[in-house]
Amino acid sequence: MIQFEKVNFTYTANPEEMSLRNISLAIKDGECVLLTGPSGCGKSTLLRLLNGLIPEFYDGDMTGKIFIDGTDISEKGIYDFVGKIGTVFQNPRSQFFNVDTTSELAFGCENMAIPEAEILSRMEGTVSAFRIEKLMDRNIFELSGGEKQKIACASIHVLGPDIILLDEPSANLDYEAAENLRQIIQCWKEEGKTILIAEHRINYVWDLADRVVIFEAGRVVHDFEKKEISSFTDEQCRGYKLRSLKRISPQEIAFEKRNRAENRKKNINAEGREGNDFRKEDIRLEGFTYAYKSGENVLNIRKMQIKRAKATAIVGANGAGKTTFLECLCGIRKNKGKMWLDGKEYDSKARLKVIFMVMQDPNHQLFTESVLDEVLISMPEENEERAKQILSQVDLSDFADRHPMSLSGGQKQRVALACAIASECPILLLDEPTSGLDLTHMLEVAEILNQLKKQGRTIITVTHDSEFIEKCCDEVIVYGK
Amino acid sequence: MNKQTNSNRLNGRDLINIGIYSAIYLVLAIALAMTGLIPIFLILLSSMYGIICGIPFMLFLTKVKKPGMIFIMSVIMGVVMFATGMTWMPIPFSVVTGIIAEIVYRSGNYSSMKAAVLTCGIFPMWACGNYLPLFVQREQYFAERASYGQEYADAVMRMTPNWMFFVLLIMTFVCGIMGGLIGKKLLKKHFVKAGIA
Amino acid sequence: MSGNASKKSFLDPRTKLLLVLVEAVLVLATAGGERLFWFRILFTVLPFLLLFTAGRYKSCITGGIVLGITLFLQYAVFPKAQGGLAMILLIVTSVITRFLPAYLIGAYVIQTTKVSEFKAAMEKMHMPDELTIPMCVMFRFFPTVREESTSIQAAMKMRGIGMGGRKASEMPEYRLVPMISCSAKIGEELSAAALTRGLGKSRKRTNICRIGFGIFDYLIFALVLATCVYWITGVIG
Repeated sequence: MIQFEKVNFTYTANPEEMSLRNISLAIKDGECVLLTGPSGCGKSTLLRLLNGLIPEFYDGDMTGKIFIDGTDISEKGIYDFVGKIGTVFQNPRSQFFNVDTTSELAFGCENMAIPEAEILSRMEGTVSAFRIEKLMDRNIFELSGGEKQKIACASIHVLGPDIILLDEPSANLDYEAAENLRQIIQCWKEEGKTILIAEHRINYVWDLADRVVIFEAGRVVHDFEKKEISSFTDEQCRGYKLRSLKRISPQEIAFEKRNRAENRKKNINAEGREGNDFRKEDIRLEGFTYAYKSGENVLNIRKMQIKRAKATAIVGANGAGKTTFLECLCGIRKNKGKMWLDGKEYDSKARLKVIFMVMQDPNHQLFTESVLDEVLISMPEENEERAKQILSQVDLSDFADRHPMSLSGGQKQRVALACAIASECPILLLDEPTSGLDLTHMLEVAEILNQLKKQGRTIITVTHDSEFIEKCCDEVIVYGK
Repeated sequence: MNKQTNSNRLNGRDLINIGIYSAIYLVLAIALAMTGLIPIFLILLSSMYGIICGIPFMLFLTKVKKPGMIFIMSVIMGVVMFATGMTWMPIPFSVVTGIIAEIVYRSGNYSSMKAAVLTCGIFPMWACGNYLPLFVQREQYFAERASYGQEYADAVMRMTPNWMFFVLLIMTFVCGIMGGLIGKKLLKKHFVKAGIA
Repeated sequence: MSGNASKKSFLDPRTKLLLVLVEAVLVLATAGGERLFWFRILFTVLPFLLLFTAGRYKSCITGGIVLGITLFLQYAVFPKAQGGLAMILLIVTSVITRFLPAYLIGAYVIQTTKVSEFKAAMEKMHMPDELTIPMCVMFRFFPTVREESTSIQAAMKMRGIGMGGRKASEMPEYRLVPMISCSAKIGEELSAAALTRGLGKSRKRTNICRIGFGIFDYLIFALVLATCVYWITGVIG
């Protein structure tokens, strides 16, 4: 039993804004609770109060009381929760301590000084429960994001906690990996663990949840029971500013889109555009292959066509080399592939000049000390007037003087988009642009892309987000190995 | 809530910070060491560490609030040099420079900017420990290779007299201060604004 | 350090550290003089053998080529060279022949030791946590820093911020600052995750990684012992 009694919290780093206001909440043992709401609504803060990262790691002022099984947790420190509460974090790359998977699974138990034989037998149990035999004794750096997240969950499971907290665990996962995560959560549920999940992407866990708590600006605004949420519709979700509930794989979307397009063709008999014929203004790709040094072939595209001034979504299974494809296409990864644009041939070096890529982690492409400078250095010729105009287009005018690194994830994403606009490159690549975004921010990104299409830019995006595809993508290409 | 960070004992977070900044420091150091294949750069290496690695080191110093962190990082440098084949000499040397750097930053209560810049000057001196074997066992080395001819041996000896080691130390110190000042500037310009420092 | 089991070596990490020390003293510092010449040859060849058995053919071949060129310079070119050139040759060849074996053995240790093995060895040698934990974090963090650095470099290339491009003067700043910032951010998250899993909770820890001495370790010990005995008898006699 977890009880919050009139909890208020303010971070020292952000004294103007109260992160939690007057939260009173009781969570029963074995309950699976989904905490959701827009970014910065306080759902992550709630988890940090439980696992002890506040105050050990984040400073702030708290009033009110929190009880776990009747004990006031203010008398406890972060180490008292190890083995009782397990936390899965957002970023798969940053939450493992060891280099190999086996040590990672044992890590928590070793710190607890549990005897070796006991650790090994617990690990065996976890490995078979999660079916991760194939992932054992591997280098974690060579695993995909989804596999890393599985290992993170497994390393928590070995410790056998009663309470499991998940802080946006799917933000960096594709459809398939999120489905795998769902299975793990289901497994925990069956074991009777108390589960708290903070998420924007609610579709994959919605029907597992016994209860959904919606936050806004630090307050609990809605608290729905199982029977209320089971009949929820997408329209209702939109009303609560939540993402879609549809659990639909991107491949299915592609299929649906194609069907719809064919129907339309039959009806109005529009100019046909079958697989092989292409219009001259389309972008044509040929011979995109890429192999890692290890000899593993990750990319093999003989021919592909992409429509100009449209948005094309590239979907496909995990590890199919979608990111590698984007990197080759924009020219930062050298390969022999050719691209034709307006009948002109571009090799990888020439492509760098006409293609701009917004990377999945925007942190990597922010260099300067202010948002305005960031836009300025992206321009072929610096023009402050135009830069400010672009910033207002992406709704960042108020942040022109802020350091880009100090912004939130969604804002950084938009800074990168602003740079893309400023670069005047006709082709724009985006790698999972909506990962970790709430509904409002996702719609903003979609809106910006729709504007860019009107201005004649071509957009190619790798994504798993079916809602986002619905909002702004015209074509869907399913991409496999 | 009772904080477990009150004591002066290093906690898990401090130890992780040492590891992280040692990694950043060494990645930069290894990148610079690649230029050391040209012999003249080899001599300038410790000075280059001072300037370039001073930048992340300055950021590291903002995380240092307890005694021991700078010392441990210095020892790690020595141990890594030992493991990459620079003999055992860098270890005792890095212990000494580490203690001095620790004392200097401590004198500023782990918060003074001036002390931080000075610490940046002293810390990279660990790298001078790598030069020690070149100075210490030279006579013996050339004695065994009499076939090279005495004049060559003499010439090499003339180019690297023992006082040269102290010149290197001073150069490293000066460059370290420069690195500290650049680091201070970047701290203000980027890291504080970005909320990392 | 690697996380792969397939690239495992058959030596205990502690034996490897002993080898590093011996290489450093014997080859690099040329202790023992002429008397130990053959032992020195043996210890020059040993790193190549070890790298070969661990399947690190690339390091092995590169090292071999470098050593070959150096020996060629030393014995074929140097006697004919004059003045400044001879001087440079002397310095270069002497530095390389002394440092290379020690460097190779270092490469061997780093490439074939799992971080968990390293941790276990440090604990068995009763090294303090204050040294063991930061070093484990460091080894885990090297690939992260490299990953971040590669991504940033790619981004710079795409945005045309590079050598010779626009804003060349601010290159180091653009390169270093994001690399440090991104690494530091990941580091913060890593700390948080490690703390919730009890890192630093108590002095006492257990370790599931089994290390211990085997036949090959004893062979190395015997070899080192023989070298020492031979050396000491030389000094005494």
